[in-house]
Amino acid sequence: MAELAFPKVWKKKSKPHKFCPGCGQALALKILGFAIDELGIQDKLVYGCDIGCSLLSWDMFDLDTIQTHHGRVLPTMVGFKIAQPDSMVIAFMGDGGGYAIGAQHLVNSFMRNDKVTIILINNANYAMTGGQMAPTTIGGQKTTTTPVGRNLELLGSPLHGPEMLAPIAAEDAYIARTISTNYEDCLEKIKKALQNQIDGRGTSFVEILSMCPVNWHTNTQESLDFSEQEMVKVFPLGEFK
Amino acid sequence: MNILLAGEGGQGVQTVAKIIASAAKKSEKHVTYLPSFGVEQRGGVSLAFVKIQPTPISYPRFKNADIVVAFCNRSIESIEDFLKENSSLIYDDSTIENEKLDLIRNKINRFIKISAQKIAQEKYSIKSANMLLLGALSAKLSEIDPRNVENEILAEFKDKIAEKPQIKDLNIRAFREGLDLAKNFRQDTLSGKVEKEIKTEFSDDQKTWIRFPEYCKSCGLCLIRCPVKALKFSENNGFLGNPLPIVEINKCIACGKCMEICPDGAIEVKKNESK
Repeated sequence: MAELAFPKVWKKKSKPHKFCPGCGQALALKILGFAIDELGIQDKLVYGCDIGCSLLSWDMFDLDTIQTHHGRVLPTMVGFKIAQPDSMVIAFMGDGGGYAIGAQHLVNSFMRNDKVTIILINNANYAMTGGQMAPTTIGGQKTTTTPVGRNLELLGSPLHGPEMLAPIAAEDAYIARTISTNYEDCLEKIKKALQNQIDGRGTSFVEILSMCPVNWHTNTQESLDFSEQEMVKVFPLGEFK
Repeated sequence: MNILLAGEGGQGVQTVAKIIASAAKKSEKHVTYLPSFGVEQRGGVSLAFVKIQPTPISYPRFKNADIVVAFCNRSIESIEDFLKENSSLIYDDSTIENEKLDLIRNKINRFIKISAQKIAQEKYSIKSANMLLLGALSAKLSEIDPRNVENEILAEFKDKIAEKPQIKDLNIRAFREGLDLAKNFRQDTLSGKVEKEIKTEFSDDQKTWIRFPEYCKSCGLCLIRCPVKALKFSENNGFLGNPLPIVEINKCIACGKCMEICPDGAIEVKKNESK
């Protein structure tokens, strides 16, 4: 039972998982689980998660898992991949870990063209600490540190990760942006990113737009609208490399 | 006096602990209050350690609790290790299941049961359930004047009362009812909620729709994503005390949108194989 609802690679014992009701990250992790199932790479996959809401996924999968210091999940997983080139690695992080405290690793990883898969969740705020402004907070969005909305003139524009990385990425890299609420698109792009690593090609990176109803203070419909309309306007979906 | 409070995050465990700690301070006792909860923003078991004594306190944590207040079903596992022979348990028998109480049955000699959630839902508001348990706790603490506790309740909810004045009356009445219930409580058998059978599977000859109540967090995404509006919330509750979605199976077209959008993997839809 439940083969359709539950990815095989999810650890049954740790469910219900620790994410809030309506969390887009949990949805992304479910789709990642189905992608792993479809590619049949569970046995050689190592999963690394960062600090932030992403650490709540440390016992999500029935996989060997490393939980690292804040922002350092990517170098840790790159090190693992160098030591064991036959393994598959996923570095899973949030926008805080990937675009703020760990941004240098993302840039350097693309310059070295490390053979790893990076999944980054963009929920437009720092969710675990209570909804502060993140590099991805969009113009006018209210957070606890921008109570009147983010002023783009004063605080700069939101960071566009895939667009930033595409010019420095090698020819065989894969860079895409997708959204957690679009099942088919999200599954396809995660699978492509993992396939890129299976084929031994360059760095693969997927940014997934997510929802954070708790810190956005939105109900279900408003969360969907914000994620699928407001965020997509600022962060266009697509493949960049 | 070591008091341990345990409940689901969001049930008001820390609020109760804070109120009782400040009331003890007003009654000229030495008191410490140590909150302990996970990193989750919602859900997860939340514990509060409160120590009240006439002499100075050297360390706020303890291994044996004199009074344990259990707010929810999942909290029973967390409190198990803190129970000793003469601990008394205050628990909500409208949420804690009989089966769960079997875990600690042989450790409990004294207890008070209060149907806090049920009474709160019927008479006050669901959020006042913690006030009923606070009332019961304060009945056990003879050294603390209930009037001090009432004053602390008013101080704690000052901002909310300014917004909605009816909160004052609701909480105070719930607190007093809890106090009375606990004072007049005659100890009988340790019993909890008998789990009622929740229908999880809906099917007709073409399709089957299954929902897993142990995973559903009632985010409502499935209701919004259903193209034919076949889903709605039912009266049955899931593990967080949340309403569970049900389907009108004759409307359902088995498109699987609800299954795709569910972040918790709590819904499965399948088309039956033709015979």
